[in-house]
Amino acid sequence: MSNTTTTTNIPARAWTGRGLARERWHGYLFLAPTLLFLAAVIVLPLFHAFWTSFQRIRGLTSTFVGFANYVRVMEDEAFWHSLRVSLGFVSISVVAHVALGLLLALALNKITFARTALRVLFLTPWMVAAAVGATIWLWLLEPQFGVVNYILQSAGIISAPIAWLGTPGTAFAAVTTVEIWRGVPFIMLLTLAGLQTIPAEQYEAAEIDGATPWQKFRHITLPNLKYLLVVASTLDIINVVRHYDIIGIMTGGGPAGATEVLPALLYNTAFRANRFGEAAAIGVLLLLMVLVFAAMYLRITRVGQEDDRR
Amino acid sequence: MNRTSPLGQAGLWIAILIAALVTIFPFYWMLNTALKPQSEVFLSPPAFYSANWSFDAFRTLLLERPFARYFMNSLIVSLGSTLLSVALATFAAYGFTRFHIKGAGALIVFLLFTKMLPETLLIIPYFRLMSELGLINSHLSLILAYSSFALPFSVWMLIGFFRSIPLEIDEAAIVDGASRITTLWRVILPLARPGLVAVALFTFLISWNAYVWALVLTTDPSMFVLSVGIANMVGEYRVQWNELMAAAMIAAVPVMVMFAFLERHLVNALTAGAVKG
Repeated sequence: MSNTTTTTNIPARAWTGRGLARERWHGYLFLAPTLLFLAAVIVLPLFHAFWTSFQRIRGLTSTFVGFANYVRVMEDEAFWHSLRVSLGFVSISVVAHVALGLLLALALNKITFARTALRVLFLTPWMVAAAVGATIWLWLLEPQFGVVNYILQSAGIISAPIAWLGTPGTAFAAVTTVEIWRGVPFIMLLTLAGLQTIPAEQYEAAEIDGATPWQKFRHITLPNLKYLLVVASTLDIINVVRHYDIIGIMTGGGPAGATEVLPALLYNTAFRANRFGEAAAIGVLLLLMVLVFAAMYLRITRVGQEDDRR
Repeated sequence: MNRTSPLGQAGLWIAILIAALVTIFPFYWMLNTALKPQSEVFLSPPAFYSANWSFDAFRTLLLERPFARYFMNSLIVSLGSTLLSVALATFAAYGFTRFHIKGAGALIVFLLFTKMLPETLLIIPYFRLMSELGLINSHLSLILAYSSFALPFSVWMLIGFFRSIPLEIDEAAIVDGASRITTLWRVILPLARPGLVAVALFTFLISWNAYVWALVLTTDPSMFVLSVGIANMVGEYRVQWNELMAAAMIAAVPVMVMFAFLERHLVNALTAGAVKG
C-alpha cells in the first residue's frame, strides 16, 4: 500500500483529507442506513408517543382529547407524589454515587497492587443486568431467611427481622441502597479516568511547597476534577431519573406508592391500569425533565460543536 | 509521587477491602445459594459456606423449567441486535469520520439524545406499534427495540476508533484504485478490529441486560428472555431461592466473562465527552 504510485487517473490534489471532491455526497450514503433505521425505531415511536398523549384510548378506539391527559395527570395527587419520590430517589442516589465513587477512585488511584483486578471487581454491580442485581437483593433482604436481617440481628443493630420491602420507609431505603450499589462504579470509572489526566508535576510542586494531603486534594485534585464531576453527575441524573428495572423488580412502586418513581408510575399507568394516554403524558413530562439535564450536559461538554469544527 | 505512610497504606487497604466486600457480597451470596441443596436454603442461621455443593438448582432450571429456552431467546435477540447495530454503525462511523458531513454536529447530538430517552416512554408506542404489526412475541420486535438503543452507542464508540486510524491510510488505498467500500472492508475494518470487537461485545451486553422491553413485548412464556424469566420466578407463590439464584447466575456469568475482555475499552465507550480528551 504505497501512495508513491500516483499513476492512477485520480489526481492526488483532489484529496482534501475529507474525501475526494467528486465523492463529497457519498458520506451521506454511509450514514443513510443508520439514519433511516433510527427514524423508524426512535423518531417514529417518539412522535407516536406524543400523539398518544393527546388521545383517549379505549380498547381499539382512540379520540383526540387535546391536553386532557396532561390536565388529568397534573390534577392527580399520584403524579406529584411520584415526582417527590423521584426527586428523593434521584438526589440521594446521585449524591451517594458521586461521593462514594469519588472516594473509591481516589483510593484505587493511590494503590498499585491489584489495581486492574480491583477495578473489574468494583465494576461488577454496574455491568450485570439491573434486573439480576435487584433479584439478588430481593433474596438478601428476604424477611425470614434473608442474610441482611441475619447479619444485622447478629450484630445487635436490629432486634427483630424487618420486612424491608413491606413498609414504605424501609422499602424506599432498600431500593435506594440497591441503586447506590449499582451506580457507584460508573462514577468511580469516570473519576479514575479523570484522575489520570491530572499532571503529576502539580502534585510535585505542591509537595515541594509542603502541602498537606488535604490541601493537595482541595487545591489540585478537586479543581482538576470539577468539570468531570459536573458532567458525570449530569449523566448520572439522566440515567437514574429514567431507570425502572430495579424498582420494577423489587417493589413495582409499592408499598403504598412509596417507591413509585416516575418511570414506575408510567409503567403502572400504561401496563397495569391500561391508561395509555395518561401514561404517554407522564412520559412526555419525564422526557422534558430529562431534556433539561441533557441540555445542561450539551452546554457543559459542547458535544457536537467540535465535530462541526473538524 | 503519591507517597503514603505505611499506616496510611493500611488504612487505605482496609477501606478498599470493606468497599470490595459490600460490592461483591451479593454475588457471593448468589453463588452460595445457587450451589446449596434444597434442604440448606432455608436454614437459620444461613450457612455462609456449604461444602455440600449441589447442582440440583441448575438441573431443575434446565430440565423442568424452560431456562434453556430463555437462554436461547436471550442469545438470539442479543446476537441479532449486535449484528444489526454493528453493521449499521460501521457504515455510519465511516461516513462521519471520512467525509465532510454538513450538520455532523447536529447528527451527533441527535445520537446522544436518543441515548438519553426514557425507555419507559418509548415502550408505549413500541408496544402499540408492535401489536399492530403482529410482532408481539417475536424475536424481531426485540431485535429492533434493542438495536434502537444499542445503535447510537455503537456509532459513538466506533467513531472514536475510526478517528484513531489516519486518513492517509484511506488515501493510499483509494489512490491505488480501491473503492470506498473496498477500502472500508479490506483496509479499515482489519485495522479497527479491536474496536469492532469491543463495540460488538458492548452491544451484546446492553441487549443481554435489557429487561423492561422484553417484559412488555413478550407475553408468551416460550418467548421470554432470561431477565423476564427471572422476574417471572420472583412473582411465584413460593420462591425457590436456590433456583432463582442459579437463574441469576446463568444471566450474570456470561456478562462477567465478557466484561473481563472489555474492561480496558470501557472508559472510552462510556465517557464519550465526559473526560476531556
